[in-house]
Formats: sequence, structure tokens, C-alpha cells
Amino acid sequence: MPTSLWLTIRPIKSSSLNFSAADTRRDITGRGGVHLIVALLAVCVLLTGAWPLIRLFALSIAPGEEGQILGLMRDTLSGRGFQRAFWNTLSASVGSVLVSTVIGVALAFATGLSRIPGRTLISFLALSPLLIPSQIMALAWIELMGSGSPVLSVIGLAPAPGSRNPLYSGAGVAWLMGLEHMPLVFIAVRASLSSIPADLIEAARIAGSPPGRITRRIVLPLVLPAIGAGAVLAFAAAIGNFGVPALLGIPGRFSVLTTLIYQRLNGFGPDVIGSVAAIALVLVFLAAIALLLRQIILRGFAVPLPSGACFSGFDMGRGKWAIMALLWLGLIWLSVLPIIALVTTALIPALGVPFGLDTASLKNFTEIMANPALGRAFVNSFSLAGIAAMVSAAISILLGWLAFTAGNRAARLLSWLADAAFVVPGTVLALAMILVYLRPLPVIGISVYGTAAILLIAYLGRFLPMALRPVEATIAASDPTLDEAARVAGIGITRRIVFVAAPALAPTAMAGAMLIFMTAINELTLSALLWSAGQETIGVQIFSMQYEGNSTGAAALSVMSLALVGLLVIVTDRLGRRLPPGTLPWRAG
Amino acid sequence: MRFATPLILAAASVTTPAIADPSGEITVYTSQPQEQMALVVEAFNKDYPDVEVEIFRTGTTELMSKLQAEFAAGSTPADILLIADAVAMTQLKNDDRLLAYEDAPVEGIPEDVIDPNMTFFGTKLITTGIVYNTGMVETAPTSWDDLRAADVAGSLIMPSPLYSGAAVIHVGTMVQQPEFGWGFYEELAENGAVAGQGNGTVIEAVARGEKAYGIIIEYMAMNAKADGSPVDFVWPDQGVSAITQPVAIVNGTDNEEAAKAFVDWQLSQAAQEQSVGQGYFPILSDMSAPEGYPALDSLNILPLDADQLMADDQANKEQFAELFGG
Repeated sequence: MPTSLWLTIRPIKSSSLNFSAADTRRDITGRGGVHLIVALLAVCVLLTGAWPLIRLFALSIAPGEEGQILGLMRDTLSGRGFQRAFWNTLSASVGSVLVSTVIGVALAFATGLSRIPGRTLISFLALSPLLIPSQIMALAWIELMGSGSPVLSVIGLAPAPGSRNPLYSGAGVAWLMGLEHMPLVFIAVRASLSSIPADLIEAARIAGSPPGRITRRIVLPLVLPAIGAGAVLAFAAAIGNFGVPALLGIPGRFSVLTTLIYQRLNGFGPDVIGSVAAIALVLVFLAAIALLLRQIILRGFAVPLPSGACFSGFDMGRGKWAIMALLWLGLIWLSVLPIIALVTTALIPALGVPFGLDTASLKNFTEIMANPALGRAFVNSFSLAGIAAMVSAAISILLGWLAFTAGNRAARLLSWLADAAFVVPGTVLALAMILVYLRPLPVIGISVYGTAAILLIAYLGRFLPMALRPVEATIAASDPTLDEAARVAGIGITRRIVFVAAPALAPTAMAGAMLIFMTAINELTLSALLWSAGQETIGVQIFSMQYEGNSTGAAALSVMSLALVGLLVIVTDRLGRRLPPGTLPWRAG
Repeated sequence: MRFATPLILAAASVTTPAIADPSGEITVYTSQPQEQMALVVEAFNKDYPDVEVEIFRTGTTELMSKLQAEFAAGSTPADILLIADAVAMTQLKNDDRLLAYEDAPVEGIPEDVIDPNMTFFGTKLITTGIVYNTGMVETAPTSWDDLRAADVAGSLIMPSPLYSGAAVIHVGTMVQQPEFGWGFYEELAENGAVAGQGNGTVIEAVARGEKAYGIIIEYMAMNAKADGSPVDFVWPDQGVSAITQPVAIVNGTDNEEAAKAFVDWQLSQAAQEQSVGQGYFPILSDMSAPEGYPALDSLNILPLDADQLMADDQANKEQFAELFGG
């Protein structure tokens, strides 16, 4: 039964997609409006990422002083430091993908397939790694796993004083990156689960299949592409991750490509931009392979499903208590305990002072309140993240539609190019930005460097794919007949985008925008290099405080930032009840 | 802040009517912790209420990279530099990036912390010594050689010159001494010592009890101790390295008057008193060190050949990275 369903669905999908792409392309050639939109999108995508990066990479292959064209790159890539970092990057990323996939799929299945109480809260906790900036998450876990751990020492599992924190290792980097990127898998799988029609499961149940078998034989094949796509995304994210290896890998002498770039840039200055760009090219190459793989998975295996009532989970009967107990134990360990560790750190007056009712104080919080730069940081981060999220959502709908529904080749190229700024390490993107935007812009003569504009440009370049990819995935998995019908009826492109595509894609785009907001609010790597006096962001402030050895203050600031984001999530959640299911990631179905 | 300026302006004009005070905005690039800098700006504004000071704060090494990138692209928003060490400043001076301020008020400041061309001026002294966790260490180390022991080095963390300007000077100074040299660092690395990023990572690790010992600049350890962290600090009797946190004006500043006012203030008694309160040795020879600190002249400051260090800078960083990773 499942196999035959699989077979009947596939041919419909591939033929109709091909038909739509080829036919629509013919339809739109010669329409000036589309060219104008594509041109505007091109300006946007190119200026926010592709062009600065091309400039930077051109540096890496520019002829050397004696004309030895690729000498620099050859030297860089044959160096011992590079080799070590390269293999470390691969092994830590693969390890982290295993962690992300196992935990992400388990959580998505548990919340998506069983009707247990408190699913929204559980989903929210599963997504919490997205809310916590990686350097703070690393800090929280260092607290949790270190010799002075307030939690582990209670059960006698804390490492002996002075012994190395087990997280300062390749395994520690892989574990934490895995946790951090787990939501990417969770979201993909959860979205895919929630698009499974109830009829399909009902049919199987009527045929007498127990839930376990339905899960293995029907659900798993249907969500396998989503698992693969999520895992590959997690891999690409792990390759480019900076925060975790910076905090765990540097003291653990486990260098990866991103930290190698950061360390070389910081230590040796712009003289090494060329060789750093060469390393960045390798990262781009790795990420390109990952994204190609993702494309193959999505195009080759995604199954468009008929619309209708969605499956809302099995009633597990008594089994639900066992599942819930396991889930909560896992979630408390993964997301509650680190936050407790963070809060206790924020409440102690100085590092190394044990937490207790007699030592706890609000000193760190009052000191933060007294610093005017910190209030400004909140305003800056909220506005930057908000604008970046909304603009990215709008661009995603336009670009995704043009590239994959209308099959516009230029738009497809742009959509592909948009990844460039997403997959290179933030440090490299930031440097590329400085390279291009420091001098006053030609024609208008205004310099965006030293203003919030350069941060916004970088954020737009960096985060666009977080909204664009889900939108494209929705397009790939959705039924193209509606647009075809509109096209056949002679309705123009603009109206088809506004009245047919936008409403259908808005929930996904909004979910992407939410993700962007939550990520951008605590962005660190770009901000660290691009912020200027008066334009500080929360991430930069937390990082600087920690850098200065004031991690009690950094923890307090993180707690405040998390509380504010949490508040915002609650507000969005209240407002989001009227939106279609799936708009908010934790309310998927 | 901006809205308050007219009020302050009015108040100031009542008290000092005749003098045209410097005004406008200056941007300070610094490696001093931001909470300290917030207080510095507050105190500076008491004397110069019309100057708005923007702070850009990061580690000296990273700051230099940012400056280099900005120079390469054409210009920098920075008007003032207040960074850890004279070597970085000398590099900038040699590139003609610093403004000569001939009339700077340098009275009472030792000549050896002032650039002969009057482009930068030491503002305080920061020494590097040994911090240890009082809960984990029974016998405090007294010398650098005490760190060589396997059980000590195995629990030792130090800042990396790839991040910290103080570490650039410290490593540079140590390897110039015949009794230490690179052999000292090789022995530390072999016995398991690790490098963190800046001095902040060192105090974190030692105060948390992840490492028992650290090499660190004194005020971070002493301030943590004062806050209640279980740490103490020793100035090794074999000698300490020292940096002077020089201040300089960037060549091409668009607000020279306000920039000079900032330098004047940094060299003033008021600023010196404030930095003593923040845990720094004062640069003025007639002032005493912060409470709990030894008298500066009782310390043995290791000699440093700055020209040699500048020539070796890149090689030192590479050698260090080779030993400690990164």
C-alpha cells in the first residue's frame, strides 16, 4: 500500500513540474515587468553578498608580486595548519550532523506523531537553541560540564577541580554544534510531518496497520527527503559555525576552518586577506557540495501531497506517559539545565563564587542598566533584525516564485548566488563588506561604513536563505496547478504573485522571517567586525564582556536578551493563532 | 544624550564664558574594557561637556587589523587610539598614521613612555604576572620558572598574542630574555599549557577553577579578586613585562581640537586618579599604586628591545601559533 502510493504520487509531480517550468518560461519572455523585478532582485542579492565576496575571492587568486598566480592558494592549502583545520572541520561537522539528525528527528516524530499534551511548549524548547547565541550556549554548557558545575556536582558527576572540561575537544565542538543546528532538522521534519494528509494515515489504519508500521512504512518514506534536506542544511551550518569552535575549539586546540580564518585575520591583519580568502573558498566549496546534495534530495525525492486535513498525530494511549517522560528528561537536559547554569552565572557577583541564596545578587543586572551603550544595543539589534526579517521574507516570495514557479533562469542563478553570503563564514562576509563599502558609494557619495546600513546590508545577505530555502521547498512540494490555472486564464505575472503565490507562500515566508529575527537578534560574527561606535548590537556587547573576562555580566545581558526574545515569542504566538498552521515553527500542526 | 547637549552647553557657558571649548564628536578606538571606558567618558565630559565621545572597543590585535583594513580602503572613523602597547603605536607612526602633538602636557610623565616624535603618550602601566586559583593552589608560585613544572604547566592558561596586545609584548619580552627564550614556551606547551584568546579568557578559566594557574595582566586578576573571585596574583620576582597603554591622535582626524582635549585629559591628574581606582599603575611618578599593589619601583621590569620585537612580531606570532595552536 505505501509503496504503491509512493509510486502513484511521483509521476504526477515530476511531469507537472516540468510542464510548468518549461511552459511558464515561454510565457514570460518579453514581459518587461519581470525583467525589472529580476533586475531589482539582482541588485539586492549582488550588493548584499555576491559582489563583495567576488571582490574578496578575486584577491585570493590575484597574481602575486612575482606573478605566481595561484601560488598563494597553493601555499595556504598545503600548510599544516590548514590541513589540520580542514579535517577537523569535516569530522566535527559530520559528527554534529549525526547529533542534529538523531535528536531533531526524534523530537519531531515525538511531537508530530503522538498526540501528547504540551506539544507547543515541547516544540518551543526544541527550537530554543535558535534563540540562544552560540557563544552563550557554549558558555552555559561549559558551566554545566565543568569542574565547578552546580548541577553535576549535586549528583557527583562533575569532573575533578582543575581537570580539563570535556567540552574542550573535537567531540565537544561536534556535540554543541549538533545541538545548535538540531532545530534545522527539527523544523524541516516537523513541517514535512504536518503536511501529511490525515486521509493517508486513516486509510492505512483502516487497512489494519499499527502506528509503528505506519510510521516506518508511510511516514518515514514521506519525510525522508525532509530529513536529508535538514541534515545537509545542518552540515552546511556546521561548516560555517564560528561561535562554538571559537569557545570550545580554541582552548581545546581543535582548530576548524572558520576559527583559523578568524585567528589569522585577527593576528596578522589584512595582509593575509588573500590567503584567508583562499581558505574561505574551500569552505564555499564544501558548502556548495552540501547544497547541491540538498537540491538533488529535494528535486529528486520530494513528494507533493494533496491538500486537505492534515494528520495530527496518533493517540498513544498509555504509551504517551512513557514518551512524555523521556521527552521531558531529554529536553530538560538539553535546554533547561544550560539556561539554569546561565541564570546562576548571571546572579553570582564574580566568577568562581559558588551560587547560593547568600551570594546571589542583582549586581550584574544593575550594572548593565547603568550602561547607556547597552540600551542602545537592544534598540539597534531589534530594529536590524526586524527589518532584515521582513525584507528577506518579501524577497523570498518574489525570488522563489520567479525562480521555481516561473522558471526564470536569472532568478534561479540569483537564488543560487544568495547562498554565497550564507555559507561563507561571517567573518569573511564582514571583511568583504568592509572592502566594498568603506569608501563612499559611487554616484551618491555617501559612505555606509560606520552606519547601521552596513550591518543591515550584511544581515540581509547573510540571512536571506533562511527564508528563501523554506519558500522554495514549499514551492517544490506544492501543487503547481493553481498558478497554471491562473496563467491559462490570462492573469498577469504581478497579479499571480500578489494574489496566488503570496498568500500561499506567506506562512512559510513568515516562519522564515521569524527564524531570521531570532537568529539576527543575537548575531555576533558579522557585527563583531562591522559594528562601529554608536551601532553596537547585543551580540557584540555580550561577546565583548565575555572577552574582557566579565562573563557574569555577559550572562546577565544574555538572560535579559533571552527574556525579551521570549516575550516577543509569546506575543507572536498569541497573534499567530489566527495564522495557518505552520506559520510559526513551534505551532506546526 | 544628544538632546541634553544644549542644556550642558548653557551650563558650561555660565561657568567658563571666555574660552571656546572643544566640541563636536570624536571616536575612540580602544582595548580598555567597556565598563571602564564608560566611566572614563563620563569623567572626561565633566571637563569637556561639549565633546561627544563614541567608543569602539576590542582587543588590540583585532583593532589593528580593523584599522589596517580601513586604511587600505581609504579612511577610518577613528580620531583617538588608546591601545595596549607602544609597538603597535610605533607601527602606526612609521606608516604615518599618527598626528604629532608637540604641545602635549607631558610634565611629570617619564620620558621613556613618550614617543620622541610626540605622536603617542603612555597613559598607565600594565604589568603581566601570574594568577592562581586560591581554592586549588596551596603554595603560590613566585617565579616564572615555577610554571615549568609539569603539574603546574598542565593546569596553566595564557593569553594569545593573536588576540591580545599585552600578550604580544609579554611573549616578545620573555623570548628576548636569555634565561627564558622560546625554550620556556616549548616546555610549557610540552607540559600541557594552553593558550586562550585575550586576558579575559584567562581570568575566566582560573576563577572558574578549570585551570589552576594563568598568565595575565595584573588589573584583571586584582579586580576579580576584589569582586570576590577565588583568585590571587603574584608579580614574579624574576621580573614582569609592562605595557603603557599609549594614547594617540589619528592623522587626518576631523576634530583635532577635541582629540587634543582627550589626550590632555588622559594625561591629567584626574584621569590618573581614575585609572588607579580602576586597578592600573599610574604613569605619573609621584602617584602611588592602587591598594594592594606593590610599589612600582619595587618591581623588576624585564628589559625589552622594542625595535627587535617589531622586527620579530610576525615570526613570534607564528612561532606561538605553532606551539599552542591557531
